[in-house]
Amino acid sequence: MLYLLKLEWIKLNKLLSFRIFTLFYFVLLPAILLTGKRLDELPPPLVTNEVFFIFPTVWEYLGYVGNWLCFFFFGFLSIIIVTTEYSYRTMRQNIITGLSRRQYFMGKVYFILAMSLLATAYYVLCALLIGYFSTASVYWHKVWQNANYIPRYFLMCFGYMSFGLMLGFLVKRTGIALFLYLAYIMFLEMILRWGVHLQLFENRSMHFYPMNAVEDLVPLPFTQMADQFLSRYGFRLFLSPAEAAVTVITYSLIFILLAYYMVRRADL
Amino acid sequence: MSILSIQGLTKHYGKITAVDHLDLEVEKGMSFGILGPNGSGKTTTLGIILGIIHQNAGAFSWFEGKYGAWHRHHIGALLETPNFYPYLDAVDNLRLIAHIKRVKEPRIDYLLELVNLHHRRHSKFRTFSLGMKQRLAIAAAMIGDPEVLIFDEPTNGLDPQGIAEVRQTLKEIAEMGKTIIMASHILDEVEKVCSHVAIIKDGKLLASGTVGAIISDDMLVEVAAGDLPALKAAMEQLPAVRRIDEEDGKLILYLAEEMAPAELNKMAFEQGLALSHLRVVKKSLESEFLEITGGAKAN
Repeated sequence: MLYLLKLEWIKLNKLLSFRIFTLFYFVLLPAILLTGKRLDELPPPLVTNEVFFIFPTVWEYLGYVGNWLCFFFFGFLSIIIVTTEYSYRTMRQNIITGLSRRQYFMGKVYFILAMSLLATAYYVLCALLIGYFSTASVYWHKVWQNANYIPRYFLMCFGYMSFGLMLGFLVKRTGIALFLYLAYIMFLEMILRWGVHLQLFENRSMHFYPMNAVEDLVPLPFTQMADQFLSRYGFRLFLSPAEAAVTVITYSLIFILLAYYMVRRADL
Repeated sequence: MSILSIQGLTKHYGKITAVDHLDLEVEKGMSFGILGPNGSGKTTTLGIILGIIHQNAGAFSWFEGKYGAWHRHHIGALLETPNFYPYLDAVDNLRLIAHIKRVKEPRIDYLLELVNLHHRRHSKFRTFSLGMKQRLAIAAAMIGDPEVLIFDEPTNGLDPQGIAEVRQTLKEIAEMGKTIIMASHILDEVEKVCSHVAIIKDGKLLASGTVGAIISDDMLVEVAAGDLPALKAAMEQLPAVRRIDEEDGKLILYLAEEMAPAELNKMAFEQGLALSHLRVVKKSLESEFLEITGGAKAN
């Protein structure tokens, strides 16, 4: 495993898009949340901007910022690490040089696992620091009240990246894969949901689509709005964390197995 | 020891059969040329034995199975164009290959000196000219001192000086006692570098053996006389004549050894045949190649 991770590191550490995407994530994750400091007046149900930064709600708000950043930067990254190796024909060369197809593939899977872990570790670090400096009196149980956000955040990041990985292996072209990734998450899935159920909200099964489940792992933190939804339609707007987690794990496994199947079969 | 053994290898692309029941044997120490026109299935064959293309039928084995699935760690290969990471420099690209092959001390500086790229070792691959890319690929193929080297059209797209340099490098590698497998459509190149050759066309093996046996340097003589059948009968008596073809009212004699035209003329005259035509043709290797591959088309 370390052999394959080191190989990915040699390949990627000098890749400009890897450096830029990672840098953007590291800078933007705390920076976007901290712009909340400049918001003086907030619409209800939020009264003050304090909830952004104090324990335990910092986990929710920082998580939601991270949701967007992972969707963009790490999703893109997972596509690029696959498609560039097709366009440079280096995947083929790696195998001629001596990797098995399985090793080549597992290198990519280990890499997205490692990136998801790293992203999560940084999220935890930021949440703890921001929370510590913003909360007037820090209680240990308050700090960790939303600690289940940590595995949820990891799964969210891994979910985006495994979807990107599959698209990369499926489409092989950077531009088309990026477009499909964005288009699917931003509207194709909605169209699909509408096409299947012929309605947007009034059916609970519509929540179990892959990217909806990924988003619901670390959802928009306006819980009051979600509660209104519950009273109106009789079920929640978001999947429960456990439901979302199981759904995402299932889809990620399907994506990865599908990508592996394609790598095994293809003539390169 | 058998380095590579191929049995009944077949690959279809839709209706096209790129490789058709191909059998090949490569022994240790050979420099083995796979000769064939463009599109004859050379690259597909190499792709299959290097694990990037799946065959439809047939089998191959490397090193008599000695290294199991990891035989590619003992092979250095350059297939078609050199493929490297354009944003990495020469050293990083070679280091990456050494990492894949699990080579601890890859002697990168030595190899870059060998292919005359040492002064550009910290330039990004994308800034290299075609000849430099090709030379870097040769250096890459030699990482870890592999037992077998595979080259596919190694001089493709190079200028005359580049071609000469690459051929010289290949010869030096062959003299080190390494096994070389080289695909080429250039007969001259195979003749200069290889000891053994297999000629393939439309995915079929047409001939294989030592270069001397397959690409013979027979002397060709055209003769004609009034009574062609009698002349043919007379010529068949000569021990030096290996083969006779008839073409446009002339006989083409394939002479295994040198023979003065005057001597031939004298012999014919002694048999009571006056030659109306006598011409010595220096047979080019290309015509030999075309003869073998063209023969298959007629069949």
